[in-house]
Amino acid sequence: MIPDGHALIELDQVTRRFLLPQGEVTVLENISFRAMEGEFISIVGPSGAGKSTLLRMMNGLLPPSEGRVLYNGQAQRGINYDTAMVFQNFGLLPWLTVSQNIELGLEARSKDAAYRKVQVDRYIMKVGLEGYEEAYPRELSGGMKQRVGLARALAVEPSLLLMDEPFSSLDVLTSINLRNELLDIWSDRENLVNTMVMVTHNIEEAIELSDRIIILSNRPGKIAGELKIDLARPRRKRDPLFSEYVDRVFSLLA
Amino acid sequence: MKHDALPEIGISQILGLVELLAGKGGREDIYKLAAELSMELGETLAVIRAAEMLGLVHTPGGDVEVEQFGYKVVDASITDRKDLIRDKLAELPLFKAVIEYLAKQEETEVTREEMLEKLAELLPNEDAENSFGTVVTWGRYSELFGYNDDTQTFYLGESRAE
Repeated sequence: MIPDGHALIELDQVTRRFLLPQGEVTVLENISFRAMEGEFISIVGPSGAGKSTLLRMMNGLLPPSEGRVLYNGQAQRGINYDTAMVFQNFGLLPWLTVSQNIELGLEARSKDAAYRKVQVDRYIMKVGLEGYEEAYPRELSGGMKQRVGLARALAVEPSLLLMDEPFSSLDVLTSINLRNELLDIWSDRENLVNTMVMVTHNIEEAIELSDRIIILSNRPGKIAGELKIDLARPRRKRDPLFSEYVDRVFSLLA
Repeated sequence: MKHDALPEIGISQILGLVELLAGKGGREDIYKLAAELSMELGETLAVIRAAEMLGLVHTPGGDVEVEQFGYKVVDASITDRKDLIRDKLAELPLFKAVIEYLAKQEETEVTREEMLEKLAELLPNEDAENSFGTVVTWGRYSELFGYNDDTQTFYLGESRAE
């Protein structure tokens, strides 16, 4: 998908501080970047660089201490219901079935039960979960659990999908499979969501998926650099150009 | 009747393996593959065996190679993949036996206990509890049969979830 030049979300000199028992700590400092509509952006940085905090400011769960978050050019206030989040540990409720977990995100947005059912069924199909409707999370493999997390996020038809280390609790083969399926979903024009921001500590994963990578330095998190990935998809780790990108991200992190 | 046991492998892992191999030109040394993935050799072999049972790969010598059917599955959409794999699963003797058993019991619901007994009979050398989980997962994925953990009963065909 080719970004069309319209900034969907923009962080403008955002700083975030937290008050901790030992005093005030600056987690993120002077962060500015834009995600253009249709773009897949990864935010890479060491743990403690404030990557998850950044996502929570993008969906409006957390206000910045300084600076502004603009969504479609408007200053964002409160939770942005045009975004949805996928979590590292899936964020599923164990006493709900697959269908009920997917419906959760819709309940806050629509009182129309028939519409919710249609949406749940549609996205169960999109992520390949038909047959698992009444299964409980405990009965599912990690890969299937993350498909539920993804379907729940997609079912609300967000314009911006935020993902917090979505593959890092999965085994290596399962994560290969889910990354491929995520790219399929991203490039499927039937889906409304075409802008993705993913937080990851896995550099190869970021290069494999993203149009652009934003590299954060540690404590406080600051933008250490930005890299556009000019490689056709599917991208292969064996490609020498791929390795060059890995080196460049490393050098920006160091 | 003796059946091949079902390896306790998730469908996502199998698809991931075939996708990985397809991206590497289709063939790799099994030992190297395990090392590259930092997986135990036994674990790698279990995934390969499962992929082989589904006709996605074959294993000439110490290598694993993607079959035509494997490429077809990898290139298919998420929903088409399920259909392709469903047809393969339906051909596996163990699945045939389970489906036949469920079909025969159409009037009365098959309970968890009954399925465990059936699996112990079909797979006498396997831990029935382990096989149970795998059979449920693959049955659900293929939508050949379903299982409701609330009522602990099986049914044939599509989900009855509301």
